[in-house]
Amino acid sequence: MIGNVIKYERDNIDTDVIIPGTYLKIHDYNELATHAMEGLDPDFPSKVKDGDFIVAGKNFGCGSSREHAPIALSTCGIKAVIATSFARIFYRNSVDGAFLLPIEIDDETYQKISNSDKLEINIEKNEIKNITKNEIYTMKPFSEIIAKIIAAGGLFKYKK
Amino acid sequence: MTETLFEKIWNSHIVVEKENEPSLIYIDRHLIHEVTSPQAFDGLRANHRDVRRRDLTVATIDHNVPTTDRSLPMIDETSSTQIKTLEKNCKDFGIKLFGINDPNQGIVHVIGPQLGITLPGSTIVCGDSHTSTQGAFGAFAFGIGTSEVEHTLATQTLWLEKPKTFEILATGKRKNSFAITSKDIILSIIKQIGTDGGTGHVLEYRGDAITDLSMEQRMTICNMSIEAGSRAGLIAPDEKTYDYLNNRMYTPKNYDDLVDDWKKNLMSDANSKFDKSFTIDVEKIEPQVSWGTNPAMVSDVTGKIPTPEDFGQNNEIQIESAKKALLYMDLKPDTPIIEIPIDRVFIGSCTNARLEDLKDAAEIVKGKTVNSDVGAIVVPGSQMVKLEAEKLGLDKIFKDANFEWRESGCSMCLGMNPDILKPGERCASTSNRNFEGRQGSGGRTHLVSPVMAAASAIAGHFVDVREWC
Ligand code: SF4
Repeated sequence: MIGNVIKYERDNIDTDVIIPGTYLKIHDYNELATHAMEGLDPDFPSKVKDGDFIVAGKNFGCGSSREHAPIALSTCGIKAVIATSFARIFYRNSVDGAFLLPIEIDDETYQKISNSDKLEINIEKNEIKNITKNEIYTMKPFSEIIAKIIAAGGLFKYKK
Repeated sequence: MTETLFEKIWNSHIVVEKENEPSLIYIDRHLIHEVTSPQAFDGLRANHRDVRRRDLTVATIDHNVPTTDRSLPMIDETSSTQIKTLEKNCKDFGIKLFGINDPNQGIVHVIGPQLGITLPGSTIVCGDSHTSTQGAFGAFAFGIGTSEVEHTLATQTLWLEKPKTFEILATGKRKNSFAITSKDIILSIIKQIGTDGGTGHVLEYRGDAITDLSMEQRMTICNMSIEAGSRAGLIAPDEKTYDYLNNRMYTPKNYDDLVDDWKKNLMSDANSKFDKSFTIDVEKIEPQVSWGTNPAMVSDVTGKIPTPEDFGQNNEIQIESAKKALLYMDLKPDTPIIEIPIDRVFIGSCTNARLEDLKDAAEIVKGKTVNSDVGAIVVPGSQMVKLEAEKLGLDKIFKDANFEWRESGCSMCLGMNPDILKPGERCASTSNRNFEGRQGSGGRTHLVSPVMAAASAIAGHFVDVREWC
């Protein structure tokens, strides 16, 4: 998986800025996507490209349980969010609905990745290659169940 | 072997367990609201699945209901569609719905306990993060995502990784038990452990300062557990818990037998081991006011807005986030909290809109008038709370003081219905999240207790409510 980085140097990017409450009534994914990240970066929907990754600090996706948050990001084309830690419901929503990959990295890696870097994510090897900087980082491996749900393509395709 | 309360509840709900793998956990109660359920029902239909235990599933409408006169047609079409969708889904699948005109309608986390749906020792889920509120009754109650809502509807179980345990020991006695509330206790805790202090953990609140609290105050604490990143909050049940749940709509027939059983089992064993522990002395707690854009950015009411450097303590990211927060909140370091003027006051939400909250706020408001520069509303947490408050004449006290008195719902807590802040407006709010834009795009939220909100409404700026009682 190869994509470019949109980096937000912030902790606690909450679901209210990812998709503000007033849009939770919207059922149409494409319309929802036009409001992605509106609370933090209103230009996001126009600048994001299919396949891009978001990089951010700790506790990404904290706040509400709204599945609209990973849906809005993934409909915009975001394939992975790379952060130093995640809030649990956002993490599970992303994986369960097969919307995007939530990837955990350490602080050092977070510092090294810059906005617009081109990255290649290899989940088999738990590796992130920074093509722009020619560096290789390790990502935190997925737990067993998360890896299985991802491999199955979501919670409902995952059969025990 | 000793066990914590959480471990006892977890162990008694395991359906499938394998080493180093997540467990399949049985779910006793499933609550539903209009925002996080539509896709789950779509999923059931697409996969030709039915609801497995409709008798354990209850729905209500809270997030986008109007809080003004409900006999009028709804103006907002998308909200109206979302509400109709839940009505249809509940009808199609045979789920009990406390709908928009039902006397038991209310915020899902308020009506669960009020109707006796919440039970000690049970597992409770809802597609809503503040499900943690119901942990106040000694239940493992937690928010889930929409795919998990669908999974619960279809199977009444969930695949879960076992959370770790975190003891929060609250000791001492509050110096003024009217002015210093459980909201101030939980804000102080989050201020110290941080917005991710509880990640991966279930918090169990223990100690005299917790048992001293009423059930409604305990709910405020458990409600905000999620703001510390934790999976859930938990308080061991006691006589107050059992009294509260007696004779409610859903209270089981064999309640007395259940209580006997709970009394024997539902506590952390002496010397049981928690993965983490934190102690707070409530005697030192003052009324709290949040100044930033997350619930850990909180100050004593006698304090001042910190400088980003003081707040961040050498952590660059923290310093940066404080700078951004101050910019968004339009506040300058060193400003005394009590000098900050406010435009709006919101007394409501699943954190602080139960009967006691409204009673205490009314006590402050009685015979006074809201400052002419402030717009203030009270939104009861449920229609039942509203009715009980009206029986006590609280509505009259608020209305005489120029507060608006509304129908129940989430309202200005998240700005999905017309109750929102205008850009730049500053609000003293009894809700739980001060994120950017939470109460309306550009709106500025300060989290406080109901008595602090009430006193500030009258003064037009933050005040130390201890001087008011
Ligand atoms: S009152 Fe606020 S926090 Fe509580 S359920 Fe409603 S929107 Fe969520």
